[in-house]
Amino acid sequence: MMLRQAAKKALGLTSRQSTPWSVGISRSYHENVIDHYDNPRNVGSFDKNDPSIGTGLVGAPACGDVMKLQIKVDEKTGQIVDARFKTFGCGSAIASSSVATEWVKGKAMEEVLTIKNTEIAKHLSLPPVKLHCSMLAEDAIKAAVKDYKEKRLKTNGAAAAAGQTAQA
Amino acid sequence: MNRAKKVVASVSTLLTRRTFYPSPTFRCDPLPTVSANSESHWSHESLQPSPSAQELRFSRRRFCSGSSDKRITVCWNCGFSSEKAAFLFCDSCRSIQPIDDSIDYFQIFGLERKYELDGGSLEGKYKDWQKKLHPDLVHNKSQKERDYAADQSAKVTEAYRTLTKRLSRAMYIMKLNGKHVNEEETITDPTLLMEIMELRESIAEANDSKELDQIRSQVQEKLKQWSDSFVEAFESHRFDEAVKCIQRMTYYERACEEIVKKL
Repeated sequence: MMLRQAAKKALGLTSRQSTPWSVGISRSYHENVIDHYDNPRNVGSFDKNDPSIGTGLVGAPACGDVMKLQIKVDEKTGQIVDARFKTFGCGSAIASSSVATEWVKGKAMEEVLTIKNTEIAKHLSLPPVKLHCSMLAEDAIKAAVKDYKEKRLKTNGAAAAAGQTAQA
Repeated sequence: MNRAKKVVASVSTLLTRRTFYPSPTFRCDPLPTVSANSESHWSHESLQPSPSAQELRFSRRRFCSGSSDKRITVCWNCGFSSEKAAFLFCDSCRSIQPIDDSIDYFQIFGLERKYELDGGSLEGKYKDWQKKLHPDLVHNKSQKERDYAADQSAKVTEAYRTLTKRLSRAMYIMKLNGKHVNEEETITDPTLLMEIMELRESIAEANDSKELDQIRSQVQEKLKQWSDSFVEAFESHRFDEAVKCIQRMTYYERACEEIVKKL
């Protein structure tokens, strides 16, 4: 909620600054970006200790952005059933992570690993200077999947060890 | 003559490689700005095959006269030859000089190439430069000189802005030493990112200016702490660590900006 308000305020400021209608050069955000800003999908958090959740936490030090993307995986089918994000950064970074959460839902983990930043950038018509925001989103997806897999390995390993001791 | 030039070129790259690490204050840039007399001197030295390290050091010292900022440039307008490190303006005929890319921001302000600065001098020197270089002062002069004024004035402004702020100064001095703080690389350090995430969340959730001020002073303390770590890492040539310090400082600066926006 806070993020959305802050986002709206920031957007209000930035669009005034970056869209000088009087000059006639419209360097404005693409409507897809504004859409994700005004109606951000999937903002929020999951409990990161939940075994069905994978958390990807990435940062872009050049601009001081942080992005957290979480996936909820159905452990039987390996499909991502839900996703959440929390991003502190520019409009393009927020929109990129919002798009990412939309695109991973309902897909298998292996499939989302093939989502490329260029596709996100194209969908949002990101200018070249903002391409790294889409890269950040791609990295966040990969980090979330990696985290989930590592968690599974740990729990499986623990379960196997417990099973062995039980048998013994 | 060609052979001499080739040997001169290879020796000069050897020299510049030698000057890369140790003394940030020592600056020797012999080849581009040498005057006619020294050149014949130089080619005499270079004809000796494979000079030993000692001879190299000796010839370098003789060449640069031990002074860190000696270079000779000539005014395009009146031919006045100057030995100043930052020859942006000819005092003799009062004409503005073209941009010389080899002059770095520290030289413009007559400072040593190190991170720690004494605070007061920058603004005064900046204003002094602008009194000589500003485009508003050259309306009567040739188009060429008006272009020089625009370029030089912009460069001095950029230099002033870069050196005034700690973070940009740190990044610039790293760049001068060939270490680029890789702009677009994603980082995944969980401890740092968690800390920043929580910091940004607390800023977003803070309700009044008192809370925000509290957070801000905490962040500024962290900035000072990491700024000191940067100095230490940089001077000990631990450049990877220095880069990490800069990254942290960027995050804290960004957080401060958010606080200011909210206040």
